[in-house]
Amino acid sequence: MGTIYFDNAATSWPKPPGVLAAITECLADAGGNPGRAGHRLSIAAARVVEQTRELLADVFNAGDPSRIVFTNNATHALNLALYGLLRPGDHAVTTSVEHNSVMRPLRHLETRGVEVTVVACAPDGTLPLDEVRRALRSGTRLLVTTHASNVLGTVMPIGELAAAAHEVGARYLVDASQTAGALPIDVERTGVDLLAFTGHKALLGPTGTGGLVIRAGLEVPPLMRGGTGSDSDRERHPEFHPDVHESGTLNVAGIAGLAAGVRFLCDVGIDAVAAHEGALVADFRERTADIAGMTLYGPEDAAKRCSVLSFNLAGASSSEVAQLLDDSFGIMARAGLHCAPSAHRTAGTFPNGTVRFAFGWFNTADEIRTAAAALGELASWAARKIAWTV
Amino acid sequence: MDGLITFFASHYALRAEAVLKRGGLSAKLIAGPRDLSPNCGVALRFEYARREHALALLDAQRVRIDGVHRFVPRTDGWRNTEAAEWRR
Repeated sequence: MGTIYFDNAATSWPKPPGVLAAITECLADAGGNPGRAGHRLSIAAARVVEQTRELLADVFNAGDPSRIVFTNNATHALNLALYGLLRPGDHAVTTSVEHNSVMRPLRHLETRGVEVTVVACAPDGTLPLDEVRRALRSGTRLLVTTHASNVLGTVMPIGELAAAAHEVGARYLVDASQTAGALPIDVERTGVDLLAFTGHKALLGPTGTGGLVIRAGLEVPPLMRGGTGSDSDRERHPEFHPDVHESGTLNVAGIAGLAAGVRFLCDVGIDAVAAHEGALVADFRERTADIAGMTLYGPEDAAKRCSVLSFNLAGASSSEVAQLLDDSFGIMARAGLHCAPSAHRTAGTFPNGTVRFAFGWFNTADEIRTAAAALGELASWAARKIAWTV
Repeated sequence: MDGLITFFASHYALRAEAVLKRGGLSAKLIAGPRDLSPNCGVALRFEYARREHALALLDAQRVRIDGVHRFVPRTDGWRNTEAAEWRR
């Protein structure tokens, strides 16, 4: 039994071979602390960091690379943005399909006097734009949405949402955890003010990497303060980018791996990745359309979804199905609530959750065929189980 | 290389090195002299005679600098010729 990895929405696997090599090389040859000294190993580490920053600025068309700050992950980036921008008395608008990395900071900020409006999405995750416009008002500080639901795969129209936010003078923060590297993202063109991304999903880097793009002219107070290697004669934290948001030693080896992942992605082309994953989704939907008792969630329209798919089989719990997929077919999937209880309430799958598949660049049509056949078997097993218990 | 540019953060020094080299100028990262800058990281040596061209390139790429200095051998040290107006 082989390994079929469909949990790319949690973290991508495998990584391109260059990622492992880049991490090893970095630890061997660029082992200094970036920005803290002038010796060769420190400069080599700083080169790793700054080249990666420039690479990401190109990938996201984000302009000035200093406006990209590295974080440990997307959650860290989202917390930086949310706690930096929202003050007691501020109003924020979000959607009902957000991951807890957005929802939990917002619910905590609510206890500190921030007013939060959650716009309900349709059960397939589609966000009604007119409802967003109704929720936004003069004085709204922030609109924050995911770029694509980590449960339903529904892709949000970020350009239109940015325009809607700007109409009332609000800023727009996008959680691109599921889309950075999987779908083309153009920060300049869409008008997104802040983009939180993770390095270890579709950007194909290692865990412990991520960042936040902050539009030039928007100054966000830091989440943490500390040593930056700059302004070392002062006890006051610097206010200039990127140091303002990068106190403490960065995950240089991880960032080296991230750069290798992004370079691989640029060679392949993000458009090609999106097309490949779109083809896998279409193939999967076609091959599973006739499986009795299988319910697939998320939008029908292929143009409105990414490669994240949620489903259930009648008569079996999501965790049972995921366990059997692993044990009997070697297929790795994630079951349950995917850290997004509100998204499952929206889809009507709370509290039992769903089985989630998320396809990546390294998945193949063969694997889709195997998975569809496995689900056919599991569905009839589950149906027999129902017949047995009735 | 008798010129030296200091920076607020190493991020800008690394970018400056790339910008100057792309522009056909010589540039070398060195440990930032402590008496010139509180930045623990690096500073950039360059040809002082190409100062205007170098600064124009950096300005066009929005690379912020702290100061420009020139090494004057007789005084055994760096002399600050231009402090940036912008400082945090």
